[in-house]
Amino acid sequence: MLGEFEYLLITAAARLGENAYGAAIREEIAATTGRKCSIGALYTTIDRLETKGLLKTWMGDATPQRGGRAKRMVQVTAKGVQAAKGFYDAVARVSRGASWVTERARSIS
Amino acid sequence: MTSGGWPLVEVAARLLEGDERNAVLGDLQEASETAWHGLFGVLGLVFRRHAQLWKSWRPWLAGFGVAFPSSLLLMGASLTVSWSYQRLLCPELLAKASLTPRSGFLLLLCQALVLTGWSWTGGFVVGRVSRRTLWASTVLCYAPCLFCLTRYRVDSLSRYCLLLFILPAIWGVRRGLRISTIRLSGAVVVALGVTVLMIPAWSGGHPHWWTIDWALSLPAWYLVATSWKSARAGAPA
Repeated sequence: MLGEFEYLLITAAARLGENAYGAAIREEIAATTGRKCSIGALYTTIDRLETKGLLKTWMGDATPQRGGRAKRMVQVTAKGVQAAKGFYDAVARVSRGASWVTERARSIS
Repeated sequence: MTSGGWPLVEVAARLLEGDERNAVLGDLQEASETAWHGLFGVLGLVFRRHAQLWKSWRPWLAGFGVAFPSSLLLMGASLTVSWSYQRLLCPELLAKASLTPRSGFLLLLCQALVLTGWSWTGGFVVGRVSRRTLWASTVLCYAPCLFCLTRYRVDSLSRYCLLLFILPAIWGVRRGLRISTIRLSGAVVVALGVTVLMIPAWSGGHPHWWTIDWALSLPAWYLVATSWKSARAGAPA
């Protein structure tokens, strides 16, 4: 099963789609969770997920705003989607009946 | 990122591999990170990369299994070769050891060849097994050398006689870094040569020396095992 940060990274990359690369994923994680992730945590986790076959990476184009440096593009594989879905389902199952979940459900209805 | 801190971050990023360096520096520039954040980020990644290497058995074998113990033992072997050379130059010492100049020379030749073989194979294994942690193996090899050099108290021999093994070891490391494996026939010749030559070279010594001799011969037999494995797998040897 995925770890929490692995799930966040895969989900952020999936949301970004074709624009998923290091800086964009960091920004997406920071914007959605309010937590900044370090470059070290990001790239070592990307490597680990790629080794597991959950992500695919390649070197993309260079842009002037990056000082002419290439991006490391990221794509979630079908296996990665399955793993993220499994993590999400597990969290949803284990959270069923928890007070903060029922309160939230009540507030929505 | 401030322009003043940028060169420092770029220097730190040199510790990363080419593509990763490009991606990381580009990300930092795009995110407009401060120089300090950038520097800590890069150093954090470098640290994580190196820490990951130590999760494998390879750097442990290269550093603590070969480099450190071999340097201690090979300093002893280097001294023995130096003493044999000194004895060859002094007829009285030769006579005392019941050796003729010819047998003394042959003994020295055997010892020098075995020392070269042990050092070369040890160096080759260190270079081959863990290229990216070579710095750690180097420190673990030189630390005992430095310790022994500072405590060396033999008047008749120069302290640098301890380091006779260094050059063949460096040669072995360089070969190990360049080629992944040697031909099976070559590995067998080296291992057999070292094993056969160590019999006359260190015969007559303390029985415990045999254990040390065999320990120093292990890298040569490790090379045979890996070459045999590659030959069986059909990989180019």
